[in-house]
Formats: sequence, structure tokens, C-alpha cells
Amino acid sequence: MEFPTIFSITEDEIDLNNLLAKVTLTSTGAAAIFTGMVRGATTRGDVHETEYLEYEAYIPMAEEKMRQVAQEIRARWPSIEGIAIVQRIGKLYPKTPTILIACTAAHRDTGVFEAARYGIDRLKEIVPIWKKEVSPGGEFWVEGDYTPTAGE
Amino acid sequence: MNRVKLLFFATLRDRAGAKSMELDIPADLTIQGLKDKISEEYPNLRESMSSVLITINREYAFDEAVIPTNAELAMFPPVSGG
Repeated sequence: MEFPTIFSITEDEIDLNNLLAKVTLTSTGAAAIFTGMVRGATTRGDVHETEYLEYEAYIPMAEEKMRQVAQEIRARWPSIEGIAIVQRIGKLYPKTPTILIACTAAHRDTGVFEAARYGIDRLKEIVPIWKKEVSPGGEFWVEGDYTPTAGE
Repeated sequence: MNRVKLLFFATLRDRAGAKSMELDIPADLTIQGLKDKISEEYPNLRESMSSVLITINREYAFDEAVIPTNAELAMFPPVSGG
């Protein structure tokens, strides 16, 4: 049977319950979900406050790269059943969820935690999405530190 | 000549002052050649060319890659989604 893979870039609110239902099969007994939200107060490293983040994406390429991340997860953890990768874009305020990665499997000891972790780490490396940080002191584009290599 | 579309995102869009442009480039121009051309013709973007990521038809492309006919190119900084 075909396992569900869901990926999308949306301006709408991320509906965790709906997404979780879509990656839950009758054989599913475990889900690991990572979600990230806008942090209003940063205390680690460069201490600062964030008014909001503005996300943008190169949508058609981002969708293709999300598909690739899902394929990489399946190649590494064949026990994974469903995968959902959803990025919210637009102007997002503190406490608002911006990203959701959910991986499901029959049991919790089959790599679901690692798979979800891999999904968010990989998204931050190769999926063309950017955020502009707007704070009381001004605004700047956040830039990652990863340079993809050939074939990525 | 080869007419291509070049898209800009994030810092590159701000510096270019445009989301995209149509560009006539010589046949067989490489990515390195494109960076040189952009540096020469768009001084605002010169500084970005050392760390910019470039894609050809939505795949990451590297200096020696030759730009195909009617390609969709994009230039952007390292990604920061999540």
C-alpha cells in the first residue's frame, strides 16, 4: 500500500490535527511531530526581541525539495509510514507555529524521532525558504549557513 | 543568444530591486560566467556573488554548469526556512 506524503507551503494556519489524521494509517502506532514557532524573545546568543517574521519561498522549487526530503527520510528509515512537511509563509507573529514535520510509524522505536529531526534539519539546508526578522531595532534577512553540493 | 528568466529572493531581491528579470545571455554561458556578467552590470549585486546560491530549472547549479536554453534561473542567499 502507498504511504501518504504531504508537503505544502501555505499562508494559512497549520492544522496539526488535520495533518496528523492524514498521516495516520490503521497500522500506525506512533508519530513524532516537530513544530517550530516564532520566538518573540531570544535569550541565547544575540539577545533580542522579534516583532514578527516575514517568510517567503521559491514555491515550485520548495515543493520539489520538500518531496526530496521526504524521499531521503524514507531511504534512511524504511519503517516510516506517513510524512507531512508544511511550511507557513507570510507575516507571522510570536508564538505562531511556522513549520510542521510529522513522521508516523507502527512503533516508536523504529526511527520516527530521528526521522522528524532529520526532516527539519534538512529543510533548513536545502528547501528555498527565507525569513526576514523585524524587530524594534530594525529588520534583516536571516541567512542560513549551508551550501548545497551537486545533486542536492 | 539565449533568453533566460532570472528570479531573485530575499536579500538578492532587495538589492536587485526586482523579483525577476529577463536576460539575454550568450549560448554556452556558465554559472561562473553569469556571476561575472551580473557583477559587471549590476554593482548592487556584486558583493552578493561570492556567497549566492544559484539554481537552473529549480535544481542547485555550480560554477561550471552551462545554462540551457530558456532556463529558469534563480539567485538567493543560503536558505533559512523552518
